[in-house]
Amino acid sequence: MTIGPSTPGERALPDVAVTGMGAVCGACDAGPHLRFRKLRKFMGKQDVLALVAAARAVQAAGLEAPLGERCGLYAAVGYIPFATDDINRLLDASLDREQFSMTRFAANAFGAINPLLTFRVLPNMPAFHVSLNFDIQGPYAVSYPGIGQFYSVLEEAIAALESRIIDVALVGAVADQRNFLVEHHFSRMTPPVEPERLEDAAAFLVLERRVEAIGRGATLRARLLEYRLEYSAVEPFAGRAPSECFARDGVCVPAFRELGPVSLGLALTESARGRVTHRARSRDGFTADSTWEVA
Amino acid sequence: MRHRVAVTGMGVVSPIGRTCAEFRDALFAARSGIGPITTFDPATLPTRIAAEVKWDGDVMRDRKISFALDAARQAMADATSGGTRPSGDGGLSLGLGLELFSMDDLAAKRRGERAPETIAERLLYLQTPSDLCVSMLAGRFELRAPPITHVSACAAGTDAIGSAFRMIASGRRRWMMAGGADSMINPLGVAGFCSIGATSTANADPPRASRPFDRQRSGFVLGEGAGMLILERLEDAHARRADVHAEIAGYGASFDAHGISEPHPDGRGAYQAMARALQDAGVDADRIDCINAHGTATPKNDPVETLAIKRLCAARAYRIPVCATKSMIGHLIAAAGAVEAIAAIAGMKAGVAHPTINLEYPDPACDLDYVPRTARTHPQRFVLSNSFAFGGQNASLVLRRADG
Repeated sequence: MTIGPSTPGERALPDVAVTGMGAVCGACDAGPHLRFRKLRKFMGKQDVLALVAAARAVQAAGLEAPLGERCGLYAAVGYIPFATDDINRLLDASLDREQFSMTRFAANAFGAINPLLTFRVLPNMPAFHVSLNFDIQGPYAVSYPGIGQFYSVLEEAIAALESRIIDVALVGAVADQRNFLVEHHFSRMTPPVEPERLEDAAAFLVLERRVEAIGRGATLRARLLEYRLEYSAVEPFAGRAPSECFARDGVCVPAFRELGPVSLGLALTESARGRVTHRARSRDGFTADSTWEVA
Repeated sequence: MRHRVAVTGMGVVSPIGRTCAEFRDALFAARSGIGPITTFDPATLPTRIAAEVKWDGDVMRDRKISFALDAARQAMADATSGGTRPSGDGGLSLGLGLELFSMDDLAAKRRGERAPETIAERLLYLQTPSDLCVSMLAGRFELRAPPITHVSACAAGTDAIGSAFRMIASGRRRWMMAGGADSMINPLGVAGFCSIGATSTANADPPRASRPFDRQRSGFVLGEGAGMLILERLEDAHARRADVHAEIAGYGASFDAHGISEPHPDGRGAYQAMARALQDAGVDADRIDCINAHGTATPKNDPVETLAIKRLCAARAYRIPVCATKSMIGHLIAAAGAVEAIAAIAGMKAGVAHPTINLEYPDPACDLDYVPRTARTHPQRFVLSNSFAFGGQNASLVLRRADG
């Protein structure tokens, strides 16, 4: 799949501009962005990260809630997080002579946790909280778990803008990775990924058709120049190492930070003016690159 | 240019049949797939029933992967039964359920037991990543275009088909395998739904437990399975003389932007998804001949979906058959939309509206024609199929009869 400069037989470059960017790494507070504070206790770390990054992007775009029916939300979410405290509480209440006991689990464990707290780890909940707080009623795509899937939802967002199904696309990614379950997942990779390389992060972009963004007086912060997404199925866990990098002015820097689906959004948000290329070869078989002009 | 999109292959693994023919016959015969949970001991959980797939062969620890592979095998065999494969590189659009988490492994880890050492065992230890399914499907069926996964919970299967439809219609993909797979019939899955009071506790009479639109409904019954479709450009299907089961004519999605576990009380999001699907298809609501409802049998979903259908179809809503497949197969979560789309296509091909079983006591808030208890002959040209998720993600498809 290629979206790039127009050549015979290829699609024209989408006339889409980034009008807002927002990102967050590590701990943050959703408080200032919450329209419905009673739901705060049901927000997991990934929900908070997503909401804060989305709020920054929306604000940077000069938009505000309600974003309504003409705004779509396109998000890629990392592997399912599970905090050590939550899982230990479940296990402690379920053990019988060090073995998991279904009887004890049924009698003690599942009632020990506020039921709605289980929603905090679900992959569609970041999209829920963002949609709720910005009153987004448009279409969506929620994908999982890596950078290839972020490119896939980016493609969906651009297609929705081009076909005028929506006027504004909020495109983002979130990864809650410093937790028991995601660290376990990455520890079994070949080669293993050390926990200190995993980051909690989220990044969102606001995309609009360029002409209309100019028409409403928005600042054009970046423009997509080229985009390529390819795929070759891999034998799971065959040992393919990631070779993600962030390039600027033709110099490619291998990424130390494991950012999951967030790396492109964060790269754009952190970059200074100029031409920025993001390249990723993911463990799950994607080869993606995109070039952006950052204003 | 917008391409018309044909369904040329279908495969299903469901609680009432492991082929499309078995599934269709069971639907039309009003057969329930619900019984006591056998895949694990539900002990004293409030809900001890589910709609399990009757599987007699080897099955992976994460059952949804086995279901997906088998449904995909059937769909590809169906699509290539004429001896040709769809043209160009194929992609995958897959609705996926949650990762499988093993409490037994967690207890073993606590005891200090060593983790398994082979790659295959490590993959399944403690947590099975759901995207494993993508790699296995793409590798086995040589799908070379970039895949997309959908994790929009109960709407994921419908979103997967809708997304694949859009990709083909817009010319971004030539053909796609699209569908969903899920199994949450495991301790954490069942307990999680029990704890929010979402599932029926009618353990004494499993076949009568799933009661969409009935006054005595008490929650959904968890199911498991997979549904896969092969979608391709209609002109490509005709060129290779493939059998066309139906067309995907439109897709619509919306956010409720309302509540975590309850739908918008006015049915706003459900209405928007259906209206957008109709607009996408270029079809007026008065041309819809049948609706495959989300129909979960939860106290809140069914009246809200009814309200949304009435808003969409006005007075004609009372004359459109509304079928709830979940009355027979339970709620397949991320696979629900895909399996129910196959149910809708089967009904459209046969000119039969399948029944909503267990609808015995009318609910004044659910006053449409839900085809109670027995199937009905009913020619259909356009069908709506709905899926609405926890978290307020709503998706609808418009399906068109192959000769429509």
